[in-house]
Amino acid sequence: MSENESTTDGTGSEREAATDGGRKAADGSGIVAPDDETPTWRERKERTQGLSQLTYEYFERARREDQDLRTESDYVERDVLAFPVWPHEMIRNLALTSFFVGMIIFLAAALPPHIGAPANPSQTPAVILPDWYLYWSFGLLKLGPLNPDLALLGGQKLMADRTYGVVANLVVVGFIAIVPFLNKGAARRPVEQPFWAAVGVFGVIFAATISALSVKNLIPMDSHLLFDLTFLLPFVGGFLTYAVLKSMREGYMFELNRRYYRLRPPK
Amino acid sequence: MADEFAKGFGILVTAGLGWLTLAGWYNTPGFEDTQLIAPDPAAANFYDTVAILLKDGLFWFAILGALTFWIVIPAIRQAREAYEGRAEN
Repeated sequence: MSENESTTDGTGSEREAATDGGRKAADGSGIVAPDDETPTWRERKERTQGLSQLTYEYFERARREDQDLRTESDYVERDVLAFPVWPHEMIRNLALTSFFVGMIIFLAAALPPHIGAPANPSQTPAVILPDWYLYWSFGLLKLGPLNPDLALLGGQKLMADRTYGVVANLVVVGFIAIVPFLNKGAARRPVEQPFWAAVGVFGVIFAATISALSVKNLIPMDSHLLFDLTFLLPFVGGFLTYAVLKSMREGYMFELNRRYYRLRPPK
Repeated sequence: MADEFAKGFGILVTAGLGWLTLAGWYNTPGFEDTQLIAPDPAAANFYDTVAILLKDGLFWFAILGALTFWIVIPAIRQAREAYEGRAEN
């Protein structure tokens, strides 16, 4: 439908800027069918069974409600093209919320967690570990072999190994903190930005390997090999991700995917 | 194809949840001990016997049911299409 409009009333540059179907009038002619002859999505892609039918009915209904909203007299055109919160998003959110609340109630009723004996404050536990989600930070405290001794200081280390571990925590947290400023998150699929997808895979694998390093005495593996793998595997995963995504770019329809998500250009 | 995936996935998670619950009752000696895969306890009464039987049934139903809808049925369909296509040629 946007093809017809764009070829009649728009030049190439205008067509590039118009992401919502071609016009900016709030008369319902944006993303909806401009006239009765234009085929609806239902007519274009008739799906007659199961999930595909449900999907198309959902989008057809959403398109219809969007059209009704746009033709209302008090309709205000917004910057973001999206589904209304009510009922579209809210029904879905209620369904998801109900599912998870029901699952929590079921598990709490059927499998109540075991409550152990109270902790003995006068006895040190055999194994001292943080909670599992802090293993990565615990592992960063064990980077002593990476702490360089400087010839300038006569073989002395600039800082103690434990200080070095704390500084490593600051470096990692600092990098995570500046990632949103380095990459604004314009990509909607990993193939659109293979490098940043590779950085993400690097981080995920490094979080796993540094966690394994933190409990190296529990891992059935040579600790030196584990230490090397801790820093090698993230690079391997990152390079693999970059190569795979780079090869997937051929044939990826950037414009098609961008069309559904891009904001309208500011007026 | 999406429907077959949803059927297999539904079987996997639903039967898996049932197996998880029963295995949590019968095959979990303790929270800091073996969980879910400890050997079956001696059935004390009829209900235990039925539950342990149901647990094993649910476990295999979760695996075989998902495999049926994800692999067996699509394979049969593809084989049938290939067979019919060859018959036309």
